[in-house]
Amino acid sequence: METVDWNAVNPLALWRDWIVKSEAQWSQGLSELMKDERFSGPMGRQVDELRMMQRQFAEVAQASLAAANLPSRSDLEALDERMGRLEDGLAQVAAAVSRLQQALEARQVVAPTAPVRTRKPASAGPAAAEGAKAATRAATAPAPAPAPAPAPAPAADPAPGRTPTRKARR
Amino acid sequence: MSTAQPARAGVLPNPVQQALERMGLPAEDFSTMAGPLGVTPRHTIHAEGTLKLHHYLPQADELYRVPVLVVTSLVNQPYILDLVPGQSLVEFLLKQGFDVYMIEWGRPRREHRDLTLEDHVLGRLPRCVERVLEHSGQRELSLLGYCIGGLLSVLYTALHADAPVRNLVCMAAPVNSDGLESLKAWMGEPFDAEGLLAQHGNVPGDWVQNALRALRPFGKVAGAAGLLNQIDRPEVVRSHLRMGKWESDNLPFPGGVFRQMVRDFLRGNRLVQGTWEIGGRRVDLGALRQPLLHLLAQDDHITPHASSRDLVRLAGSADKQEIVLKGGHVGLVAGRGAELRMWPALEAWLAPRSV
Repeated sequence: METVDWNAVNPLALWRDWIVKSEAQWSQGLSELMKDERFSGPMGRQVDELRMMQRQFAEVAQASLAAANLPSRSDLEALDERMGRLEDGLAQVAAAVSRLQQALEARQVVAPTAPVRTRKPASAGPAAAEGAKAATRAATAPAPAPAPAPAPAPAADPAPGRTPTRKARR
Repeated sequence: MSTAQPARAGVLPNPVQQALERMGLPAEDFSTMAGPLGVTPRHTIHAEGTLKLHHYLPQADELYRVPVLVVTSLVNQPYILDLVPGQSLVEFLLKQGFDVYMIEWGRPRREHRDLTLEDHVLGRLPRCVERVLEHSGQRELSLLGYCIGGLLSVLYTALHADAPVRNLVCMAAPVNSDGLESLKAWMGEPFDAEGLLAQHGNVPGDWVQNALRALRPFGKVAGAAGLLNQIDRPEVVRSHLRMGKWESDNLPFPGGVFRQMVRDFLRGNRLVQGTWEIGGRRVDLGALRQPLLHLLAQDDHITPHASSRDLVRLAGSADKQEIVLKGGHVGLVAGRGAELRMWPALEAWLAPRSV
């Protein structure tokens, strides 16, 4: 006679599985309730009241923390903002270096590093087929994706500062 | 002199850590399991205020002619599109031969509370487009916008008849607020948006996070329960930690943009009505003429299908397509489902239009 391996049965795991499977239904039910005007109106007012309470509490807490010589949330936020300004400054330096690099490439002081732009799409491979198959609904206007005519290559120099090498590659 | 060693987080008595250890997950792994996110090599080629425009280093010997500019959401960190090697849409595009740029809007500070849609759609985004063209040496690019980034891409393209946009691809971009029933109800007239902005300047990131979580109230509980049932699978735990890190890292919503979004988009639903004016110019979706692809998720609770399906219907493009895929708002762009479904579909559509 076959015996049940009771050690393999985990009631907690079964309970958690049930939660996972039921979640969408519960969330949908509560969402339906929350978007009802009878609920959302009072909720909006409640949020405003909470916001004002939070403000008052923050002011009290700030005074207490200052008395204890401890930083408050607003002190930390000020520090965070200062760090943010530093980060933004560094990004501007990085962007300036990038422009410098580009200018040097244009003058052929350093070799351009970009690959050529001559790639053509492979015929629809298994990946594309899988992607299309996975689409549960693909709709509208013209039939999917015949390759449009390639855009003509620019006649004039469209981008000052690019190297002749890159233009020739295009 | 003291010889005491500094305490390490890994050796502190942490019940979660101890539970993981009992389940066979090594202690030193826990603190690093999520790993660094958004690590695909890149250079910053433009910066203004908090905005940064990145260029990812190509990973193919031969590129498609048309570069791709990724426009991210204003309220979510952009690294959801570049989680870790092997789970990164950006890396996938690079390996397929696309030249990828990305706009990171950054974390607005109080001094940025007056940033408006005009600043984004008529100023910052066009300047990024210009810089991408200058950097790539091309005359046109493809825009790839996710969530609110998709909406910004649509607004920019519709407002600039001569925009150098070769293709427009949106991923879960909301256009019809009637489909955003919960948000619309919560941000209705009783909600004091001005009071919130007067207090904080911008909408704080934790407010954004709570609003998004409230759209699926039991999602977090179910996620934790599901995780506990798969705790013996380190890759699942890692993936969960990465997503958790991203979900709890919302960006503040710039005050001026929030005000316009609540008044004109959520309450007024002016985009689909054709009455939305930005910078004194009316936004007409019929003015979109570029090849258009809209990628949607069938179980998206943040941008439900009812809020996004009108984009393709109203766009004036002759070549337009909507693809609805299995999964949710985040699963559309990241994770195993995205890797199997969305990324190949995107590549199959975009590649022939990028030569």
